[in-house]
Amino acid sequence: MRRISFDTQPIGAAVVGTGRWTLSEATPSRVTIEAGAEVELIIENQPAKLQLTLERDARLRVVHVITEAGVHSSLGVNLRENAECRVAQVITAATESGVEVSLAGSGASFELGGVFLLSGDQRCGVRVDVRHDVSDCRSRTLYKGVASGSARGEFSGIVYVAPDAQRTDSEQLSRNITMADAHIATRPQLEIYADDVRCSHGATVGQLDDQAVLYMRQRGLSLEMAKRLQIEGFVSDVVLHAPIAECCETLVEILHEKLQSL
Amino acid sequence: MLKVENLHASVGDKEILRGINLEVKAGEVHAIMGPNGSGKSTLASVLAGNEKFTVTAGSVEYMGEDLMTLSIEERSRKGLFLGFQYPVEIPGVTMANFMKLAVNEHRKAKGLAPLTAAEYLRLMREKSAIVELDSKLTARSVNEGFSGGEKKKNEIFQMAMLDPKLAILDETDSGLDIDALRIVATGVTRLKREDNATVVITHYQRLLDYIVPDYVHVLYKGRIIYTGDKSLALKLEKEGYDWLINDYKEE
Ligand SMILES: Nc1ncnc2c1ncn2[C@@H]1O[C@H](COP(=O)(O)OP(=O)(O)OP(=O)(O)O)[C@@H](O)[C@H]1O
Ligand SMILES: [Mg+2]
Repeated sequence: MRRISFDTQPIGAAVVGTGRWTLSEATPSRVTIEAGAEVELIIENQPAKLQLTLERDARLRVVHVITEAGVHSSLGVNLRENAECRVAQVITAATESGVEVSLAGSGASFELGGVFLLSGDQRCGVRVDVRHDVSDCRSRTLYKGVASGSARGEFSGIVYVAPDAQRTDSEQLSRNITMADAHIATRPQLEIYADDVRCSHGATVGQLDDQAVLYMRQRGLSLEMAKRLQIEGFVSDVVLHAPIAECCETLVEILHEKLQSL
Repeated sequence: MLKVENLHASVGDKEILRGINLEVKAGEVHAIMGPNGSGKSTLASVLAGNEKFTVTAGSVEYMGEDLMTLSIEERSRKGLFLGFQYPVEIPGVTMANFMKLAVNEHRKAKGLAPLTAAEYLRLMREKSAIVELDSKLTARSVNEGFSGGEKKKNEIFQMAMLDPKLAILDETDSGLDIDALRIVATGVTRLKREDNATVVITHYQRLLDYIVPDYVHVLYKGRIIYTGDKSLALKLEKEGYDWLINDYKEE
């Protein structure tokens, strides 16, 4: 895929066509993806304050990784008619992350799969706002959180459905596992002002499954291995379905490495 | 191989095993039968090392060692296998990946190097054939969405992979159709050797048509109240437990 790069002018706006780009300091804060273009965006430990607009039929795939503390990011995505955006977000460090999505053209679709994996005394907050402003759009959010030690995680998700956004199809799910003294707060919210919609949301905070740990130990795995494997399994679907296939392996490695510290 | 003496175990302040005596030698097959709730699964769990149960009295010797001082995983690596009555689902963890870790932990305990990818695949193919396990199942998450019969076959597949010294199979025959029962039972029989032993917990004599036991024990209210040969299973099937347990009902 063609590499997209920018001049070292971080201010202002740019328009891009099909290609892949890795976020850097040179990326302007507002980027428009041309109608019909297909863009892949990789963000790795880059503080981002990025506002993206997808013109009609544009497709954007994002892999967003935060493994270093203090790298905060906010990502805005505005989708026009039939535009499609898929994001995978993997966080293993203390951070604040926000994703704001506006489905502003009929037929637009947004998908986010996210994981945060926290240990020690890490603090992490994730916010996902999805606005269905027009009819016939689709959104999916699946966010998985794992916290061990005395870590604190927070997920807050809002799905807003405007009065005219009929036939909205939206799902938001926050699933979490806590260990030891860790704590995860999850706040999924639905605000629906249209009547013909299909919206679901859910949130769970649980512990590791003792029965599964017992089962794995009976087969010879140590207690630690059994716990790690279970967590790896818990978050695996998010990374295995990451929208940029070549990144999957790296994401698996990042999580695997982080798991050793849990 | 296994010597259980006067074993007592409780959960909370409820005593479930109330003095079990059982000796299993290499090359033997033992069947444990008994009404629901008599403590069969508890005995299996205690032998496997499930920490939910507290051993309050008695001793268990396994291969010359005090079994009760070993952790669950140490017991496994020393060749004790438990086929679960209710195999557990582990979402997102593939069977193949899980077994690879397990096999390699067992090898590590024996001072052997981990298997190469090719060796592992070969082992998996060979062992899944023993229970006619669909190879697609090994690519799926452990037990997740497996049918009842597939779960039980999968237990025997794992047993084959780990090649245990002592296998305790807790109702591995329950919920199987005729064909699956034959496959599972034949699988167990094929894994049978002079230097290993099998304890099958079952409610049905039909399993024992395939896996012919040297001893049949009846467990009732936390004790083995009767031991016979395989004809005992036939008698139990016909006459039930009443003739045996009447004497104990008052306790
Ligand atoms: N965690 C527990 N807490 C309380 N009671 C328990 C627990 N586990 C087992 N028991 C009780 O111990 C008794 C023996 O249970 P166990 O599962 O060993 O029976 P079983 O012989 O395997 O029965 P089945 O044939 O139905 O499988 C039962 O009364 C059961 O309710
Ligand atoms: Mg039982």
